[in-house]
Amino acid sequence: MFSTELFLQTLISGVMIGVLYALMALGITFIYSIVKMINWSMGEFYMIGSYLQYVLVAYWLGPDLWYLAVPIAAAGVFVLGLALEPILIKPMFRQALERRDEYATVVTIALLLLLRNLAIGLAGPNQYSPGSTLPTVMLGPLPVAGASLAASLCALLAVALFYLILKQSWYGLALRAVAQSRIGAQTAGVDVFRLDQIAFGIGVALAGIAGALLAPVFLVYPANGVVTTVKGFEIIVIGGLGSIPGALIAGVLLGVVESLGAAFVSAPYQNVYGFLLVLLVLLLRPTGLFGERGRQA
Amino acid sequence: MPTLVETRDLSKRFGGLVATNRVSLAIEQGEIRGLIGPNGAGKTTLANLITGIYPPDSGDIRLAGTGIAGLAPHAIARAGLLRSFQVCRIFGNLSVRENLLLPYLARRQGGGSSAEASTRAEEFLAITTLDRLADQPAKRLSGGQRALLQVACGFMVPELKCYVLDEPFAGINPVIKDTIIELILSANRARGVTFLIVSHEMAVMRRLCHRVTVMIEGRVVVEGTLEEVAAHETVIAAYLGKAFV
Repeated sequence: MFSTELFLQTLISGVMIGVLYALMALGITFIYSIVKMINWSMGEFYMIGSYLQYVLVAYWLGPDLWYLAVPIAAAGVFVLGLALEPILIKPMFRQALERRDEYATVVTIALLLLLRNLAIGLAGPNQYSPGSTLPTVMLGPLPVAGASLAASLCALLAVALFYLILKQSWYGLALRAVAQSRIGAQTAGVDVFRLDQIAFGIGVALAGIAGALLAPVFLVYPANGVVTTVKGFEIIVIGGLGSIPGALIAGVLLGVVESLGAAFVSAPYQNVYGFLLVLLVLLLRPTGLFGERGRQA
Repeated sequence: MPTLVETRDLSKRFGGLVATNRVSLAIEQGEIRGLIGPNGAGKTTLANLITGIYPPDSGDIRLAGTGIAGLAPHAIARAGLLRSFQVCRIFGNLSVRENLLLPYLARRQGGGSSAEASTRAEEFLAITTLDRLADQPAKRLSGGQRALLQVACGFMVPELKCYVLDEPFAGINPVIKDTIIELILSANRARGVTFLIVSHEMAVMRRLCHRVTVMIEGRVVVEGTLEEVAAHETVIAAYLGKAFV
């Protein structure tokens, strides 16, 4: 039953899908650290990214130019995030709301329902595939689907770009400051509300990139963001809410655990292994691998 | 000298507690004003109102004649009114240098020359002798170094007009205390920066402040030199009890 070759192959495919899950988790955790809210509609931004990718590839660029469609789809989701944040999220801070968490939960779940039903209304419940002309690649003796490999390499690229912006640019500096103290950043002259908007845009764009990259692998349909979103939240629990390295490492860990479980224990239970990992982490380290104990001021 | 910062009948309630009760205050351009009073007198609330942390329930705040009540804190900061916090608000995960750069760059949303920004940061790293730690995360600093860094951050802003310092000397060793005092005095002399300093350290207040304002239970009770104020009956009663009057 056990062979080194099979082990390596599942390990590689686990890492590959894990990077994409991590992208999703990164978006959730990033929005949380800046705007201090959980965006439950992340999966719908993933879905919109995948539809944009499909439309761009199927009607305009063609499957060979898929790599041009990805940044355009991401930019589309980014702009949508920028447009929605001032209308839906900002009122959370403007009025003296007693229950911000509840407000954010209700608003983003309403947005989830709206967007998903909008997708059903516009494109029907059908599954679409942008298709991929990428050939299967041999990693040593192991065959790997071209589209999956391309998706994870591009996801790594997106993470690197995200990291670079965060470390090197003015917006990155300001965002890191806001993540630590909103009041402190405001009194230093940082327009926190503007950064909320940008952070929301970047966060949902990360989900949009994941959707665009996975469009040929997991297909395009109104509820296609559900599974990746659930994984995203599992990763947040494993890695620790608000931790960027936590999201990356836990993402890869989850991908690997699921793949190995599916290959060596039982394939139909693939989605269960992640939850077992979540339970294990909650038992041993409730703050997550990289999380810090929360404080309520 | 013209008035730089002025409050008129500034009031703020928290539930049943009147934290500031019709506070009127006028600080002249170039003045170093002390703000003293027993704990719970409303000093920090006044600092928070002036710098826009929360809006006043009633009353008016003017900076160089322009109304700033109700503006967001970042807009007030960009207008040249900055503050430091009693509980240090430096950014522990940013490097010491990044902490200094943030308020400088925030003025123009990150626009402007980054060369000028780093020259200025180097200057303040040298003055504060934090240059060896410039690239360390600020959370590695000692309590005193943090307080020093926090104060220095405000001086990074070239347009700084008035600096509100909330307990900048609390629990700090004498060497760093002297460095902060030097920073304040030189900015006041060379750049004409106006200060409002909240502190319990009477020796330092005597060295620094031209005049002090005393707040008790949300009201301004008396204003004058430290000597004048210290001789005032209500002040003595508030600090020591009525038996000492």
